[in-house]
Amino acid sequence: MSAGTTVVVLVAAPAGLRGHLTRWFTEVAAGVYVGNPNPRIRDRLWNVVADRIHDGQAVMIEPATNEQGWTARTAGRDRWSPVDFDGLTLIARPRQGGRPWRPTAETK
Amino acid sequence: MAEPWWRTGPQDIHRLEDRISSLYAERCHIDRDDNAIVLVNKARTVHVPAAWLAVLLVGPGSRITHPAVTLLADSGTAVCWVGEHGVRLYAAGTGTARGSQLQLRQAWLVTRPKERVAVARRMYEMRFTGEDTTGLTLQQLRGREGTRVRRLYAEHSARTGVPWVKRDYKPGDAFAAGDDVNRLLSAANSALYGISHAAITGLGASPALGFVHTGNALSFVMDIADLYKAEYTIPLAFDLAAQGLTSERDARTAFRDAVVKGKLLPRIVTDIKRLLVREGTELSDEDLGALWDDGDTVVSSGRNWSAADHLDIIPEPEPEPEPEPEPEPDERHGSGDEEAAS
Repeated sequence: MSAGTTVVVLVAAPAGLRGHLTRWFTEVAAGVYVGNPNPRIRDRLWNVVADRIHDGQAVMIEPATNEQGWTARTAGRDRWSPVDFDGLTLIARPRQGGRPWRPTAETK
Repeated sequence: MAEPWWRTGPQDIHRLEDRISSLYAERCHIDRDDNAIVLVNKARTVHVPAAWLAVLLVGPGSRITHPAVTLLADSGTAVCWVGEHGVRLYAAGTGTARGSQLQLRQAWLVTRPKERVAVARRMYEMRFTGEDTTGLTLQQLRGREGTRVRRLYAEHSARTGVPWVKRDYKPGDAFAAGDDVNRLLSAANSALYGISHAAITGLGASPALGFVHTGNALSFVMDIADLYKAEYTIPLAFDLAAQGLTSERDARTAFRDAVVKGKLLPRIVTDIKRLLVREGTELSDEDLGALWDDGDTVVSSGRNWSAADHLDIIPEPEPEPEPEPEPEPDERHGSGDEEAAS
């Protein structure tokens, strides 16, 4: 991947939105889009995605000048969301409410 | 038992200079879940890219499990417990270094007065770029360093308009004493010590064998951190105080940004290597896993040397061009090393 690569992942997105994105990106697997749009196009496409994702989930990973080299935007329902750790972005997954934490078996 | 498939070798993990400097986690449960390091609280779980992280800073209100530590050690991630009262416990797993050559070299330098003075001088010279320090004794260099730091405080105070009285801190409790600038400086220095420590142990050097500082278990950490205070933590503390940002978190966040912008982690790594290893020489970081033989030779471990006809516990690799030195039959080597090396 070159430094300028943008990746968009759509889950349970309307067919029209998926087709729309293929005009800017290559769809490399179902719902996974790879391309090199500039920041202006990225912003405009993101507005469209966030507007039309409804009950699905969308995430856009784009290059940035931080320690990680990328940032993430997310949209949709029940989605995993970026959390800031003093300038480092990690992704938080929502937990099933109220159940105590149980790790899975140690090795798989 | 066979090695588990997720166990990493030195080739599998990021070199220290390529890693993200630090991650601070507090009030959460740090565990292992499906071979991942996770931070868990009531609302959510966060997965941590451990093999891409130099040091995990564990803050108050956290607990960490045995499987999580196993995985962190395997990733070569250092773990540092930092407290509200500044007590720090530092744990380094295997680090990214696998051999002991750098630490042996450091011990050699530190125990020979002439070599030690030469390294200490180089450390001072790194701070007085463009000044001629030839012919100055160590005492004179120390004096000059004191003057330099005092001048720095005064300059930054004038630049930002933040009043400066004197450096004030309580050893062991970084964020307890002094005015805002002092407390910010202590907090930022504490983060600087953390990544210096991670770099030192990660490369396989010893935190205790200092050249300028001595007698403390973290002498070398202080030596290394002192090289960067003028550029990083001192201006940062004055800037933050001038903007009215005075919390410990402000210091940590601003320090991270400065570390990223100045590419500090790779710089610390090259500086440590340059100080301990002569220019142009390559120090191998091979895990020899050998036994020491008198003189400058080593013999292979994992073998019982007590009898003339030895029992091979680790099968010999393919025959090498130079045969290993055969021990004298009456010598007793590694009589306690019959166990297979793990």
